[in-house]
Amino acid sequence: MLRLEGVSVDIAGAPVLRNVSLVVPPGGRVALIGRNGAGKTTTLRALMGLLPIKAGRITVDGQDCAGIPAHHRAKLGIGYAPEERRLFGSFTVQENMVLPAEVLKLPPDEIARRLEGVYTLLPELRGFAPRKAAGLSGGQGKMVALGRALMVGTRAVLLDEPFQGLAPALALRYAEALGRLHHALPDVAILITESNPELLRPLVEATYVIERGEIGVG
Amino acid sequence: MGWLSENGLLLGLAALDGLAYAASVFMVAVGLNLVFGVMRVLNVAHGSFYAIGAYTAASIGLAIAAAGLPSWLSLPALLVAAALVGLVLGPPIERLLLRRVEGQEPVLQLLVTFALFMILEDVQKLIWGVQPVSYDTPLKLLGTVDVPFGEDVIPFTAYQLYVLPGIAILTLVGLAWFLRRTLTGRIIVAVTTDREAATAMGINAARVTMLTFTCGTALAALGGALAVPTTAMVPGIGASTIVLSFAVVATAGLGQIEGAAVSALLIGLGRSFAVYFEPELEVVVPYLIMVAVLLLRPQGLFGVAETRRI
Repeated sequence: MLRLEGVSVDIAGAPVLRNVSLVVPPGGRVALIGRNGAGKTTTLRALMGLLPIKAGRITVDGQDCAGIPAHHRAKLGIGYAPEERRLFGSFTVQENMVLPAEVLKLPPDEIARRLEGVYTLLPELRGFAPRKAAGLSGGQGKMVALGRALMVGTRAVLLDEPFQGLAPALALRYAEALGRLHHALPDVAILITESNPELLRPLVEATYVIERGEIGVG
Repeated sequence: MGWLSENGLLLGLAALDGLAYAASVFMVAVGLNLVFGVMRVLNVAHGSFYAIGAYTAASIGLAIAAAGLPSWLSLPALLVAAALVGLVLGPPIERLLLRRVEGQEPVLQLLVTFALFMILEDVQKLIWGVQPVSYDTPLKLLGTVDVPFGEDVIPFTAYQLYVLPGIAILTLVGLAWFLRRTLTGRIIVAVTTDREAATAMGINAARVTMLTFTCGTALAALGGALAVPTTAMVPGIGASTIVLSFAVVATAGLGQIEGAAVSALLIGLGRSFAVYFEPELEVVVPYLIMVAVLLLRPQGLFGVAETRRI
């Protein structure tokens, strides 16, 4: 269970999140809806420990994250697929996906098992595996970013605007993949951000709406 | 033809000299490149590590001679000097100084690293004085080789012919292998590419930065240590080295290990030909090459354009 309680974040002195509270139950599928600049990305970055929080607290299964540095959040089983994919261009697709698991020093057979799981969920990635990430299209890159998040996201995956800029056919495939993900790995919670509330309705169980850094319920 | 037959030998000598010079510049530039990649801080004091590496190598070498130890020890002593400088100076400077200016205004970074350069420059004078320091045991130890050149031969030191380029090639191949094939190497590349994404993948970027900075410092010191048998070290050598390695890095494009080798070769040879044929151009030739390359390819010879987004 991921929980934000009254979290406030300032960026360069300006308040970006104000008193944000949000719960992602185990295996739950939660949407965070808001316009550009509303604070969606900041919420996810705060969860990943990439930004200092000014007030409030973030807990993962009851454990306060305050003392957990950003590079130890992945170890909590949280996978993160940032906006704009942020893949490592000079690595192959497979190297990109395997990296976080290797950094966590998972045993090789466990890495192979997880990788196989990702390929089963996202079969098109198998074909890209040896290709350099820099040469992928935006949509392909989003699939890889999802795969990479799943390699360590045993508890939850945070997906930042995965549908942004996807062609309709690709968006459909991505949504189908999320459906398969929920069936294959029912324990993995999904927190997904989006600007269009209609798009995610069939995919999620709970929706939060964020506006100017404040949460309402949608 | 007339000019060539008259100057052929000189041409060959300039090429050999340029090659040896390029080898030592490459070491410095590749270290600068690594450090900039990970920290995004242009370290003006990087040239000081070259100078300190050179002085330290000379001191260790002279101590070996004074202790009556076998003279072949002078060769591994060069490597020991470089490692020593990297390990002693790298971690504290990264931790206490550069880490604080990471992500700050470039002007502040330049001022801080320039201040560090000034301090290190005075430290050198304090320890080694202002008299030229030279140490050519490794050069004498290996003797000279007659390099065939047309119908003539050019006597050239084996040290400059084999050891300098050899170590530079080993560094190039070893570093490329390390960055591509080992987990630690890929982690360094990941932090270079995208620090925040790397952190979210579980990478401790601060630790990677310290490791990289230490390696970069040791590489610059190695460049100096390798150069000391061929050049007398005088105050100010750090400054000219840093400016030259900036030129090499800018010509190659940032983040390019092989590119740094090619551009070090280009600039090393260019400078060497100038020294032999138009000595008054020595100082400007490296920058003329840099400007010519940047006019045609602003991202550098080997710099890659941004990753496509859609």
